[in-house]
Amino acid sequence: MSDYAIIGKRMPRVDTPAKVTGEARFTADLKFPRMLVGKVLRSPLAHARILSIDASRALALRGVKAVVTGQDTFGEKWGVFRYTQDQCFLPMDKVRYFGEEVAAVAAVDEDTALEALELIKVDYEELPAVFDPLEAMAPGAPLVHENFPQNINIHVRIEVGDVEGGFAASHLVREDTFTAAEESYFQGEPYAVVARFDLEGNLEIWMPNAGPHMKAKPLSNALRIPLHKVHVRKVAIGGAFGGRSEISPADFICALLAQKTRRPVKIVYTREENTVCTRQGHSMITTIKTGVDSSGRVLSREVTCYMDGGAYSSTGPIATSVPFLCMEQAYKMENVRYNGFRIYTNKPIRGMIRVHGRAFACGVDTQLDMIAQELGMDPMDIRLVNAREAGEYTPTKSFVASCAMKETILKAAQKARWKEKRGKLPKWRGIGIGCNSVQTGFPMGIRGGSQAIIKFNEDGGATVISGVVDNGQGNDNMLVQIAAEELGLKPEDIQLVSADTELTPTDPGAYSQVSTFVGGQAVRLAAAQAREKLLGIASEMLEARVEDLVARDRMVFVKGSPQKAIPIQKVIRTGLSKGRVVTGEGSYWPKVDPRREWVQNPYGQMCEAFSFGTTIAEVEVDPRTGKVKVLEVVAAQDVGFALNPLVLEGQFEGAVAMGGQGGMLSEYHFWDKGRVMNPTQLEYKLPIAQDMPKIHCIIVESHDPKGPYGAKEAGMSIAMSAAQAYSAAICDAIGVYLKDYPLTPDKILKAIKEKARG
Amino acid sequence: MRLPRFQYLEPRELEEALEMRDLYGARSAVLAGGTDLLVRMKQRLMGPAFLISLRNLKELVGIRMEGKELVIGAGTPLQEVSRSPLVQHHFPALAEAVQAVGAYSIQQVRGTIGGNLCQDTRCLFYNQSAFWRSGRQACHKAGGKICYAREGSDRCRSTNQSDGATALMALQARVTLRNSQGHRDLSLEELFTMKGETPLDLAPNEILTQIRLPMERPGRASTYERIAYRSAIDFPVASAAVWLESERGTVSKARIAVGCMGNAPLLILQAGESLEGRPLEDTQALAKAARIAMDQASAFAVENVGATVEYRVEMVSVLVERALHRAAARAAEAKGKEHA
Amino acid sequence: MSRVPLSIKVNGEELELMVEPHWTLLEVLREELDLTGTKEGCGEGVCGACTVLLEGEPIRACLTLALEVQGMSVTTVEGLAGEKTLDPLQESFIRHGAVQCGFCTPGMIMAAKALLLKNPCPQEEEIRRAISGNICRCTGYAKIVEAIAAAAPQCNSSIRGPLQGPGEEPT
Repeated sequence: MSDYAIIGKRMPRVDTPAKVTGEARFTADLKFPRMLVGKVLRSPLAHARILSIDASRALALRGVKAVVTGQDTFGEKWGVFRYTQDQCFLPMDKVRYFGEEVAAVAAVDEDTALEALELIKVDYEELPAVFDPLEAMAPGAPLVHENFPQNINIHVRIEVGDVEGGFAASHLVREDTFTAAEESYFQGEPYAVVARFDLEGNLEIWMPNAGPHMKAKPLSNALRIPLHKVHVRKVAIGGAFGGRSEISPADFICALLAQKTRRPVKIVYTREENTVCTRQGHSMITTIKTGVDSSGRVLSREVTCYMDGGAYSSTGPIATSVPFLCMEQAYKMENVRYNGFRIYTNKPIRGMIRVHGRAFACGVDTQLDMIAQELGMDPMDIRLVNAREAGEYTPTKSFVASCAMKETILKAAQKARWKEKRGKLPKWRGIGIGCNSVQTGFPMGIRGGSQAIIKFNEDGGATVISGVVDNGQGNDNMLVQIAAEELGLKPEDIQLVSADTELTPTDPGAYSQVSTFVGGQAVRLAAAQAREKLLGIASEMLEARVEDLVARDRMVFVKGSPQKAIPIQKVIRTGLSKGRVVTGEGSYWPKVDPRREWVQNPYGQMCEAFSFGTTIAEVEVDPRTGKVKVLEVVAAQDVGFALNPLVLEGQFEGAVAMGGQGGMLSEYHFWDKGRVMNPTQLEYKLPIAQDMPKIHCIIVESHDPKGPYGAKEAGMSIAMSAAQAYSAAICDAIGVYLKDYPLTPDKILKAIKEKARG
Repeated sequence: MRLPRFQYLEPRELEEALEMRDLYGARSAVLAGGTDLLVRMKQRLMGPAFLISLRNLKELVGIRMEGKELVIGAGTPLQEVSRSPLVQHHFPALAEAVQAVGAYSIQQVRGTIGGNLCQDTRCLFYNQSAFWRSGRQACHKAGGKICYAREGSDRCRSTNQSDGATALMALQARVTLRNSQGHRDLSLEELFTMKGETPLDLAPNEILTQIRLPMERPGRASTYERIAYRSAIDFPVASAAVWLESERGTVSKARIAVGCMGNAPLLILQAGESLEGRPLEDTQALAKAARIAMDQASAFAVENVGATVEYRVEMVSVLVERALHRAAARAAEAKGKEHA
Repeated sequence: MSRVPLSIKVNGEELELMVEPHWTLLEVLREELDLTGTKEGCGEGVCGACTVLLEGEPIRACLTLALEVQGMSVTTVEGLAGEKTLDPLQESFIRHGAVQCGFCTPGMIMAAKALLLKNPCPQEEEIRRAISGNICRCTGYAKIVEAIAAAAPQCNSSIRGPLQGPGEEPT
């Protein structure tokens, strides 16, 4: 057992007292003198040319202070990458999805702003629209963007080894196609923005975000103001799940309205806007061909995936790659070919989401189960045969330094009593297993690394300055834990200044599971440096060598003789009197292959560490209604090292809810042309407390050599493997392999009846 | 989401409320719990100039025996209905239905039995925000001439998803509608118009004041079944309520009501009649009645409340059969107790 | 449109306000009284983030007209804690890790408070039912159910999870 004072403990999070009392301020809670309410006018057509916009009647309404349209912008196009810049925040030429921003108003109150929207007259020329990715690729289909033939937005092509040779050498080859509908984030907090300018032209802006620095740069570009004048402020954030990494048109529009009116402006999205006008998860059609030898070892695999990307690129190149990468990390493969197509349609924009494609992850695992059955193997055993191991390279050439995939399988199976149950459960009961792997922090562009600054204060406490943002997962607490551990302080001695682009150094943002590994590492390094300076002063006071000193529990003492301790506060005060600065700086940049690029060159080290997870679910199906009752779930993940088991369990449990219970049983969008039929929580079926099963969490530690204290990503491998386990358990219960996700009661019932008919 | 503007009226007694209804008629709406009405107003599906609050009308709240009837005030909170020993004992179908409505904190105080019974029909092409519905023609229910749920339909196909209405239909409930001149006394078959555009025969000057149920006697039993994605929050996508009367172990009369299929809860007379004279334990007869209910209900359903129409129709037979099984067991048990 | 008087008691304080008839209780709490602990998550009575207590019963503030609570007593999440001490539910939510993003937390705590006021020793099923109208996207509810059970004043529930604080050994 390692001798840590703070980390590794079940520590209640530092941000929670403010949240349980209602004092935590989310963006919509902010209020400033003279603040206006902003509202966005959205396209009621899925594809149309904008002929004219007449806002004169809106502007004439009492209480309306400004109206903005594309004419008020520089027409800058946004894209996560240079080659994906395709979205104007207020388009001038045409609208590409039902809900796209067309104009916006700022008024003295919400009622007036809403009334003003109705007074803006927009003339459209409706264009033929396309809502299905395969139809969009067909010859003659309407083009969403004129310069993208066949509406192919992104094509990721990966080929490793001899795929045909592998199939030829295979004992068994299967090809199956899996499909899944769109899903949505449904963060607790609907999107909101508050923006204001000061007299020097500095923009202050608050919004739920997964990376303040990732918001600031595109805002500076679009508004053409210097980056240092964009101050994204820290605010409580009600969830992200991959959906808040990018700039939102609302950020730009709110800033534009604030600029034009010289007053603070607040935009709060309705729940419907949060669903339709932020991001959604891609729908997918995935064809998987797998060849195995007689022991079940995968020899060759070919995957072709068509993803409905909606109207704009968003994180397209990443979203098109990540489902494949998760699979190639989880399972060994020598020969593999991947063709991932992201297709433009006239639907809302799709981005990254926690499960990264049910039709991909569940497809791969369902097919493994089918192969296992044909070979007479146990599904657990075929996973053990193919499970990734430490010291190996993935097909696209990432070295896997730490990996306890097999341990997660074995521990989960033991807890779930897999061997006793699989194949031996009563009729209509089933048990299923899923395995997956997720990247820990891949850098994107020049904001791929994180930097931190720490200063000791006169009272012996310390201020930690970091760009890391907490959007609900507990990053603030993670930073405090690390700093307190390294500095020998208590968590309550740490003052955290974070997620503010004016005050903190750069950080990549809380996307791609990066915060602990990169941001936490930077804080650890900064703290180590500050501690060195602290111990330097103390060594003179204690007449001992620096390397023999320990800082712990607010004291500095010589290793092995805590009775000769002096308080840190006294060391700091002594330092002050001697004119010594006790600060530290830390910087961490993930050691990845800089030549790797999502589309052009998808080979090389993509990130430094990978997490591995196994989920096992046991279910009971009502054969008359197709309804599923989930009896028990075991979630086991290799997290490297558990910095805070209490927080990790929360991540696991939430991942089972989102990936398994919601992702596999009930969450999906359905459509009337480009209109989403279920934009709110009433019809989009998020899991509720009454329906959630008992969840057992198993934390597996592989001690990653590069992670801070050995830690790496936590929770996402569970979200993905939970979807797979749920699907596998249902298939086991009904004796049919289902291929269209999520597995709603109607689909399950249909399969049961078809099987009964033979 | 903001409500549109309106004038708030707060009558102190029923007579005053009825005078207001007389005066403002179709420009007014009656506010009980608000859980259905206020959502519709926020979505701009309704924009009454006057909201007549029933909050002070204590005469609308309460459950009591009146002769051979149980009288439930229309303003009685759902929670009070489901917890009433009288309701639980004599009308378990109603208790079960009301318990299933929404979620705990909606049922608690705000939702009323009258509001639940008069809950407007629903359709996913209609119950959406003003923005969602913009950019194309209004549908039948919104005053237009088109149906998005069933192409070419010349009328509104919106669906009644009220739990309470389906149970009350099986229980042969009657309602009292008051206006300033007097009152009307309707059966539920009369209250529901079977028109999606205007599903209730409730005049703009009327207020629903009472729901009345004929008292039960031993040998009668009722149950309610529903299916929804989640255990709470959701409206059902299919539901069924049954009421059985038995004599010496044989069904003498049965009423089977099916919800979520048409503009109103459907009373499937033929399904009920098929059980007459059958022993309570005749499972084949129960299954056959369920199939009849499904076949007859299937003509009404369109795909507009979430699950596929095939699935919902199929669930009618499952739910009716399950409801019948439980009701038959309940009837047999009650009869047994009486003899003991 | 003209404002009309509203007398209500909020968190023990008698208030005389002027409100517009179409304002909901949620809007009055958040915008007039700056009690922003009560959240708007959907505006249509589904998510439960706006749950407050009306005379001790949980209601959706987003589907309650302010004028409908005339003369009544409302408790929001800001009214739970004492000057120096938190409500046992608040303590328990912190200790059990029942809070992640925290957006649903105030509504969740108010729904739980209503339950414990009536039922000082609820079973797990009763807890789950009481919060079934409160949607949490982060936690999967496990730690929330644990936290509520542990805060129940009159019972030793078996639902309780491990109760280590900082400095204690993980299990």
